[in-house]
Amino acid sequence: MPLELHDETANLVGVVTVDEVEQLAGWLRAAKRPKVSLRRCNHLHTGALQALLLFRPKISSAPNDAFLAAQVLPLLTGSSGPANKQGSDPP
Amino acid sequence: MNPLLAQFLAEANDLLAQVDEGLLQLERVPGDPELVNEVFRAAHTFKGSSGLFDFPELTRLTHAAEDLLDAVRGGRLTLDSGMTDDLLAAFDLIRGWLAHVTTHERLPASAGTDAAGLITKLRAPLGGEAAPAAARTAGVPAPVIDVAPDWLAWLDAEWLTETAAWLATTSSTLRFVWYTPDTDCFFRAEDPLHLVRQVPALEKLGVVQPEAWPAPEDYDEYTCMLSFVVVTRAAMGELNHLFRYVPDQIEIVELDSDAITRHLSGEPPLRAEEAVSVVVTAVIDSEVSADARAVLQAAHRALTLEGAVAEGARLRSVRHAVAAAAWALGVPVDVAESSPDELIATVVRLAGEAAPAPVAPIPAQLQTQAVAPHEEKEPVGRADDPGGQVGTRVLKVDQEKVDRLMELVGELNVAKNGLTFLADAAEEEFGSRVLSRRIKDQYAGLHRIAEELQAAVMDVRMLPLSVAFGRFPRLVRDLSRRLGKTIELVTEGEDTMADKDVIEALGDPLVHLVRNSLDHGIETSDERIAAGKHAAAKLTLAAVADGDAVIVEVSDDGRGVDPERVKRKAYEKGLISEEELETLTETEAVDLVFRPGFSTADQVSDLSGRGVGMDAVRASVEKLGGTVTMRSKFGHGTSTRLRLPLSMAVTQVMVFSVGGQRFGIPVDLVVETVRVPAGEMSRVLHQEVVMMRGEVVPVIDLARALDMPSTLAEGADRPILVVSVNNQRVGLLVEQFHREVDVILKPMEGLLAYADEFSGTALLGDGLVLLVLNMKEVLGLAARVA
Amino acid sequence: MTTVMLVDDSATMLMSLKAILTKAGYAVETAGHGKEALDKLGKGVKPNLIISDVNMPQMDGITFAREARKAPGMRFTPILMLTTESEATKRAEAKAAGATGWLVKPVGPDQLLGVIKQVLPGA
Repeated sequence: MPLELHDETANLVGVVTVDEVEQLAGWLRAAKRPKVSLRRCNHLHTGALQALLLFRPKISSAPNDAFLAAQVLPLLTGSSGPANKQGSDPP
Repeated sequence: MNPLLAQFLAEANDLLAQVDEGLLQLERVPGDPELVNEVFRAAHTFKGSSGLFDFPELTRLTHAAEDLLDAVRGGRLTLDSGMTDDLLAAFDLIRGWLAHVTTHERLPASAGTDAAGLITKLRAPLGGEAAPAAARTAGVPAPVIDVAPDWLAWLDAEWLTETAAWLATTSSTLRFVWYTPDTDCFFRAEDPLHLVRQVPALEKLGVVQPEAWPAPEDYDEYTCMLSFVVVTRAAMGELNHLFRYVPDQIEIVELDSDAITRHLSGEPPLRAEEAVSVVVTAVIDSEVSADARAVLQAAHRALTLEGAVAEGARLRSVRHAVAAAAWALGVPVDVAESSPDELIATVVRLAGEAAPAPVAPIPAQLQTQAVAPHEEKEPVGRADDPGGQVGTRVLKVDQEKVDRLMELVGELNVAKNGLTFLADAAEEEFGSRVLSRRIKDQYAGLHRIAEELQAAVMDVRMLPLSVAFGRFPRLVRDLSRRLGKTIELVTEGEDTMADKDVIEALGDPLVHLVRNSLDHGIETSDERIAAGKHAAAKLTLAAVADGDAVIVEVSDDGRGVDPERVKRKAYEKGLISEEELETLTETEAVDLVFRPGFSTADQVSDLSGRGVGMDAVRASVEKLGGTVTMRSKFGHGTSTRLRLPLSMAVTQVMVFSVGGQRFGIPVDLVVETVRVPAGEMSRVLHQEVVMMRGEVVPVIDLARALDMPSTLAEGADRPILVVSVNNQRVGLLVEQFHREVDVILKPMEGLLAYADEFSGTALLGDGLVLLVLNMKEVLGLAARVA
Repeated sequence: MTTVMLVDDSATMLMSLKAILTKAGYAVETAGHGKEALDKLGKGVKPNLIISDVNMPQMDGITFAREARKAPGMRFTPILMLTTESEATKRAEAKAAGATGWLVKPVGPDQLLGVIKQVLPGA
């Protein structure tokens, strides 16, 4: 299973597809202080990324996947350029 | 043979038949959109599959045919008989090629030259050779440095500065992609992040989040709210390919150091709107929007064509096309209820918005030719289409395999029949009634299964009569043209099923009958009008199931058979006596045409002549266990009726012996078996006869007829098999009766092939080969011997 | 195992695509036209990807794509249309009906497998 959900922690494993998006969003909505491990995640569906961006869980471990580590992780840990800042206006 | 090629050949056969039939129907109902569509689809499938093999000529020829048909379908051309001839010729050529492919697995060497002329002819109505397909994809703009779009601001300024410096140092450029997925894109199974991660040589990814997120409880996780800025070293071609399914959701620009620097310094060389319009140009020029414009043009033509689109499915399909085009252009419109006039207004408005881009425009003429508008005549609700094919998935099986299966069923029957011999032996030789009983029980069980198996296999062998009728539209068309007669061919009951052997065997007699009718039966239009008939003659091919037989009737409304003339002719040829000339009824007179050596036409034409008469038709039908009768009303037409067994694979045969050897006769022919005391036999003239219930029945001594020794004792009872041939009762004097058995009749082969007195052979359970009598020939033989 | 459903009225096409896919390790379901495919979806066949011809009897590919989206569990399943050069106009229509993308016939193994990789994460 791509989603291993516990009370406050979750492991995203392998390819998280659109079919898992609803469940993931539901868990993020319900969890008080969610922590998500991306270590074994190979790909995130856009919908899953979007849910993570909205609910901003703590990322407990970085993905092994190179693309996710280089391009997606910075968005989720909030240390990136203006494009990733909530509410920032285009010029 | 490669199984894929075998599959293709099997399918090709069906497609060819479909195309032929469709084209011929189209000639009668020109412009029927459903028919055009059918033919187009067949030709199209052909082309699609032909591309799988290394048959470039086949692909080119089918492509040309497809383009012509597509133009017809799109309403840009009207199919005339010249085009039909060319199309038929093209598919005839293909048929010939495929025969060559079947044996040699490649096209004949002459294919290229053979096809060239036809391709030119097929292309002529379209205005000559089509532009190569490659020209259409030339919409990719040349590498031109674009102006930095304002969405560049989503990228980190520090990174942009560093990048600009590096680009300046290396005099190079980067491609920037602005990807704004549709909010409902997840429902088309698009995953933008997945697409983005496939971008080669990715330099930088920016993910743009919504200005304001909805509250968690209102958040719809299936609405895509993210956008992406992708910076890459990948070539324009790579990006166009990767994003080809979402051209309306992306903008791609190529930027150098200067463009980026100008953006950073905030000195716009062009105003924002202009910059955007340049960007949009690149996108608008994508394949989809070019297609959308072509659709709009086509819709406009269809709408402005008088009376072409008034209501119903046609209008709905145009609405549909316009909506789709508008969607593709990114300006969705609601035209679900629009009238034709409103639609025209919408189309004009949309066409204005989607005016062809000034940069690298696709020549307008090329668009209309290459991107054919299918939409305008394509009915939407195809699900209800009654003209489709058989709904169930059909498994195509090599005929040989079914034949093999049938053979095995036959062998099973034979082995099964062997059990009855064994039962007899158990009782007679080993004196065990119990064992005999048990064997018979086993036999009964096996018999039931064998029968079911046989029925199942027979069912597989059943084909619709349409297979036999299929060639006639073409035949009638060609012949009627040559003869200068106008003939409407009507086929009925094509769905009637019969065994494939019956269907196959029907072919020649049917061709003969149809030719006969065209040649002799049907008058020229002038003659018909003079006789007060409709100028177009009607030729009907009808099939109907009748119990375990199928009746096929060939009828015309031609001049009919003149019974007097037939009688005179028969008399002149010495086929009937003077007495018969006086006494024969009309029906009997008509039947004379089936006599060997009779030909009604004063001159044998090259059509039906060929030295074969109606007698050959009757002979071949009777060989199948069928009958032929002809009814005719002089001046009003002729109808020939063939009655054939639905299946001829298994025949019930009555076994008897003559001269110590066993023979068989089809049970259908047997009326009864009797044993007549020798004293009751009498003789009329040279013919032995027996009185049966007041009727004089001639008796033929089979031993004499077949030149076998007679083994009957002088005063013993005479076993007589009474058969009915041509409604006449005849007694056959045999030696001994045996049981009835089910056998698979095989045609005579080898040395016996010319022995007409036998209709076939069958293998018996005890391994003996049984010769089955052809009663008609035997009677003739007996007459000659006497 | 990843299951691909092939919908085409041409048995030749079905056979060739199936051969490529089977060799590449996919499970393959086939249907001769849209209606049959829809029936299969209704009966619980759950492909991970659908590849459908456009021009078919009974039910064409575009109608099928639209209907398939409504089938249980098919909301997010990638649907690729098999088109030819001359059917380019159909592509926008297919996208509007919910198709993910298209393949241009004749389809070779590289093209087929490449596109599947593109539209099917984890394939």
